[in-house]
Amino acid sequence: MITEQSRNSKNILGLFLKGEVITTVAILVVLTYFLVSRGLPMVLTIIIDFAVFAIVTMSLNLETGFTGIPQFGRVLAVIAGAFAVGAIPGRIMAASMGLPWGLKYAKDSIHYQISPELTQVLANSWVFSLLFLIFCVTIAAASGAGIGWLTSRPAIRLKEAYLGISLLAFGDFFMWVGHNWEPLVGGSTAVYVPDPFRIFGGGRFQAVVIVIFLVAMLVYAYLNRLTSSPFGRSLKMIRDNEVSAAAAGKDITRIRTQSLVIGSMLAGVAGGLYVIYTGTVTAMGYSRLVWTFWPWAFMMLGGIGSTTGVLLGVMVLTIMRTMITVYRFQLFGFLMAWGINPLWLEYTLMGAVIIGVILFLPHGLVPEKVQPMLPAGRVKKLFSGGMAAKPR
Amino acid sequence: MRNLLVTENITKKFGGLVAVNKVSIEVKEQTFTMLIGPNGCGKTTLINCCTGILKPTEGRVLFGDTDITGWPTHKIYEVGFVRSFQIPLPFLGLTVLDNVLGAMRNSGEAPLKAPFRRLWVQEEENNMEKAMEILRRVRLDNHWDKPSHTLGAAQLKMLEVAKGLASGARLIALDEPIGGVDPASADEILTHVAELKKEGLTFLVVEHRIDIAAPYADYIYAMDLGRLISQGTPSEVLNDPKVIEVYLGKGVEAC
Ligand SMILES: Nc1ncnc2c1ncn2[C@@H]1O[C@H](COP(=O)(O)OP(=O)(O)OP(=O)(O)O)[C@@H](O)[C@H]1O
Ligand SMILES: [Mg+2]
Repeated sequence: MITEQSRNSKNILGLFLKGEVITTVAILVVLTYFLVSRGLPMVLTIIIDFAVFAIVTMSLNLETGFTGIPQFGRVLAVIAGAFAVGAIPGRIMAASMGLPWGLKYAKDSIHYQISPELTQVLANSWVFSLLFLIFCVTIAAASGAGIGWLTSRPAIRLKEAYLGISLLAFGDFFMWVGHNWEPLVGGSTAVYVPDPFRIFGGGRFQAVVIVIFLVAMLVYAYLNRLTSSPFGRSLKMIRDNEVSAAAAGKDITRIRTQSLVIGSMLAGVAGGLYVIYTGTVTAMGYSRLVWTFWPWAFMMLGGIGSTTGVLLGVMVLTIMRTMITVYRFQLFGFLMAWGINPLWLEYTLMGAVIIGVILFLPHGLVPEKVQPMLPAGRVKKLFSGGMAAKPR
Repeated sequence: MRNLLVTENITKKFGGLVAVNKVSIEVKEQTFTMLIGPNGCGKTTLINCCTGILKPTEGRVLFGDTDITGWPTHKIYEVGFVRSFQIPLPFLGLTVLDNVLGAMRNSGEAPLKAPFRRLWVQEEENNMEKAMEILRRVRLDNHWDKPSHTLGAAQLKMLEVAKGLASGARLIALDEPIGGVDPASADEILTHVAELKKEGLTFLVVEHRIDIAAPYADYIYAMDLGRLISQGTPSEVLNDPKVIEVYLGKGVEAC
């Protein structure tokens, strides 16, 4: 019999011996070298993009990879989190300080008077900054969860394609609401958000990156634990066969709703954190392309249903994307001669990735593993303690 | 003996087709009640109407004293009535063991509790012991850690039965549990079912292989073209000329 140890090492070895993974890692190393050589800001940009999209993509994977919900409206919960952070905490501060908090607040980007004053208050107090940050994350999570729950009401009983289209439509709907209803987040202009990281002064960028990266890792740990459980098993049962899951006593509507609410909550947090990082919200920045279809591409490349795979997918494509943004004119300028503007190259890349994955890597770089919900070691111990050893 | 399941004039129409026509059956507690009939006579549809997979067009379904007509499947599971599927519907992304565990209850199914393994791991381990015992009965214990998609057709059938047995229900409806299974294993499974009956479980079994299953039956209902045509003890039903005519033909002597 193979021991637990040798089995594990064989698995890891097997993973690295796989051509796709080697190629990926090689590309990653080369690209990372290029980008790192451009200095710290570039590295930080990659980390922040990775972290934010990792949260969004993992949340998508919970709903789509584990539960089988065709979540084509991921952008919706991201918007909910972003708009909430853009619209609420700063206003509460402004109101309590006797500053305007109505339409004038939403249009502050024109006068730029209110938010600098608010940021100044935060920059003078660690306590305020921390409380503000915690409040932002909480409100983003609550808005994401709330909007997830609301959309689940009419939609959750629909079958695959109909559910997917409904979710997609909800997502676009909210973007246009934000764009056209000025009092929310300034409509077509940006709304400024007080900056809880200003207190770090020159280290602001580093601090915000580290915090958001840590949140992403927390989300990873949380989702791993959440899905390696009887709850995770119920999700996969529903994904694999609804009728059979119902016969096994699973309340399909309730469990799908739970998955959607948790996923949307996490996506909301990502949206909120992104706003804190950039310091502004513009409704049009939350497009379906970037916040729904890119996460889909990341997830498909990494491996649908594999949380670790998803991280790898986000990492690979974030680095490639950054690479393209940085070097598009130097390296791909020749495309101009053929009438292709390299400006759009990153969008082309995502499309190409989706097609490539479907054709050559249908299960992604790290395919989902079918394994016991408890760690194999624990199960083995249980069975070697008498049960499996018992003769028939 | 008390009636555990009663159907009152269940009718199910698919458009113009009357798949089940005013069928009333009674399944008494702690019995092995069999449902037989030729292909397409409406046996599976009747089970579907009882377990919430389909809503009956007319009629009532009573479980104990509760009217469960039209209830969703998972609520019927909760009152203690489950069914297995004629065509196995395994959870392909799960191991064999997790397929069975998934049919059981664990408080770690609640999303707030799920991330904290300590809170549910004891339940899980208890469930695992029960699940392994059931897998041993259906001879799948050596396959426990395999993905269920690697099983063969007969093994999937057994997994389907195992899921039913694992649920801890009081009434288990098995839709052709031994179809495609070799006679020795089939006997073993039915013997196990008979033992479970002694422990207080009740079975409603749809089965084509009457020669193997009838000896275990306490009571048989026979259907044809959506209607009930005969009922009684195995010998009464299998010797009923109506049953012989529509279904059994020369097979009767074998019993
Ligand atoms: N969902 C459905 N829609 C339309 N017709 C159906 C549906 N399900 C079953 N039928 C029809 O109802 C009739 C009864 O089917 P059912 O599956 O209940 O028969 P059965 O007795 O289980 O047969 P078998 O022994 O082959 O399993 C058949 O004519 C079948 O074609
Ligand atoms: Mg049938």
